Amino acid sequence: MSTPLQVYEPFRAGLPPLIRYWKSLWSRRRFIAEYSKSELHEQHFDSVFGQLWLILNPLLLSGVYYLLIIIIGGSSDSTRYAHLTASLFLFYLISNSLSSGVKSVTTGQRLILNTAFPRIMLPLSATIVAISKFLPTLVVFFVIRSFIGLPYSWQMLWAIPVLFISVLLALGLAIAISCVNVYFRDIASFLPYLTRTLLYLSPILYEASSLKPKLRSLEIFNPLFPILDSWSRTLVHAQAPVTSSLLQGLAWALGILIFGTYFFLSREREFAVRL
Amino acid sequence: MRELGLTYTTAIDRKPTLKSRAKSLGRGTKQTRVVHALNDVNLDVEYGHVLGVIGTNGAGKSSLMRVIAGILPPTQGRVEVFGKVSTLLALGVGFNPSMSGRKNVYLGGLAAGLSRDEIDEHFEEIADFSELGEAIDSPMRTYSSGMYARLAFSVAATTRPDILIVDEALSTGDAKFKEKSLNRMKELRGDDRALILVSHAMLTLKDICNDVAWLHKGKLVQRGRPDEVIDAYQEFLQVGKSAAIDEDV
Repeated sequence: MSTPLQVYEPFRAGLPPLIRYWKSLWSRRRFIAEYSKSELHEQHFDSVFGQLWLILNPLLLSGVYYLLIIIIGGSSDSTRYAHLTASLFLFYLISNSLSSGVKSVTTGQRLILNTAFPRIMLPLSATIVAISKFLPTLVVFFVIRSFIGLPYSWQMLWAIPVLFISVLLALGLAIAISCVNVYFRDIASFLPYLTRTLLYLSPILYEASSLKPKLRSLEIFNPLFPILDSWSRTLVHAQAPVTSSLLQGLAWALGILIFGTYFFLSREREFAVRL
Repeated sequence: MRELGLTYTTAIDRKPTLKSRAKSLGRGTKQTRVVHALNDVNLDVEYGHVLGVIGTNGAGKSSLMRVIAGILPPTQGRVEVFGKVSTLLALGVGFNPSMSGRKNVYLGGLAAGLSRDEIDEHFEEIADFSELGEAIDSPMRTYSSGMYARLAFSVAATTRPDILIVDEALSTGDAKFKEKSLNRMKELRGDDRALILVSHAMLTLKDICNDVAWLHKGKLVQRGRPDEVIDAYQEFLQVGKSAAIDEDV
C-alpha cells in the first residue's frame, strides 16, 4: 500500500520545521474559512440583523463621541467627525481581533486535544472574523464621507497598505495574546482596560496634528498611533501618509507579528497538556 | 512505536491565572507538576489489524493515542505512522452546535483533514450511516448525545481512513448504533485498514480485536491475544469475569 509516512520524534526547544508547518496550514485553508464562518454564525453575524448590528454598533459609538466632541465640545468641523468615524472603525478591527483572539486557543480546547493541526489557525480565524466585522463598517464610512462632501483623490489608495499593516498588527496581537492566555486565563479580564487605554492614547478622539510636540514624541511607544494617523490622512484628508509614520507602523506590526508567532510556535506543542 | 516516552509539565491549577501566580510569588508554592505519561512503550499495529488498548484511569491510554495521532510530540523514542489517521478521541470535535448537522459534517470533516471534495463524495454515505434523517438539517444543539455520537462516528469512519483511532467514543450511542459501528470497524479491518480502539468494554474488545495491549502507569504490561491479556488484566483488577467489566462503563 502506498501511503504517506509521518514520523513523530522528540523536538528540540524552539520552532517546528517551518516549511512543513506553513504547508500544513495552507492545506487547511478551507477549514480556516469554514471555522471563521462558523464563528460568525455563532455570533449571528451571518443574518441580516447581525450584519446590521455590525454597522450600528460602531455607528452608535461614533455618535456618542460626536455628541461629546462636536456638540458638547463645540467643534463645528465635519472633517473631525469623519476622522473620528474612520479611526474608530479601524481601531475596532484591532480591538476585535484582540478580544476574539485572546480566548481562541482555550475555546478550541477540544479541537486541540483531539486533532493534529497547526494551532496558529485558531488566532488566525479570530482575525478573519474581526476583518469580516470590519468590512461593512468601511462601506458605512464611505457613505458618511460622501454625505459630508469630503474630496476624493488617488492618494486615498494609500489606505490599502495602511489597512494591510493594521491587519498584520491585529494578527500579531491575536497570536501573542492567545498564547499568553493559555498560561494566564485571566488575561482576558485585563483586556478592556488595555483597549480603553489604547483608545485614548491613539489619535481617534483627536487628530495627531493637534497634539503638542512634547506629547507627540511619546507616540513612538504606541503601535496604533502611526497606523491610525496614516489611516486618517489617507481616507479622511485624501493625502499620502507621512513615510516615517508608515514605516514606523510597519515596523511595529512586523515586530509584534514575528515576536508573537515565534512565541506561539515555540509553545504550541505543549498546549494539549496545558488546556 | 519504539521506546516511546512522554513526560510533560502541566499546571496544577486547572485554570492558571496571573492573579494566583502573583499571589504565590515569594511563597515558593509549586505552580506546575511533571507527569510521566508514557515510558518505554514498544508497539506495532499492522494494516488489517485491530489493536485494543486497556488499562485503568491514568494508565496513559489517551496520551498514547494522542502521540500516535501527532497531537502530542513524544519526549523519547519514535513513532512512524504510515497513512492517513482519523481520530475519534472525543465526540463532535470541530462541530459547532449552533450549526446544522449538514454544515457540521463539512466542518468536522475539514477539521479531520479531509478535503471538501472528499466530504462531498462521502456526504450521502455519512448522512445515511448516521440515521439522522431530516434532523441532519437541524442545529446540532437540538441533538441528543446519541445523535451527536452517531454523526461524529459517521464522519470519522465513513471516509475510510488508513488508520482509525477510537477512544471510548461509542459509549454514548444506543445498542443498535454500537453494533452498527462495530460492524463498520470490522469492515475497515477487512478492508486492510488499521484500527486502535481504547475501551473498557471487554466483550467488545474480545469480539473485534486481533491484539490487546495493557498499559499501566505509562508502561506496556502485556500485549497479546485478547483473551489472555484481558484475563490477566481482570485478575490484576481482582474483578474476575463480572458483567460490569464486560459492558461499556
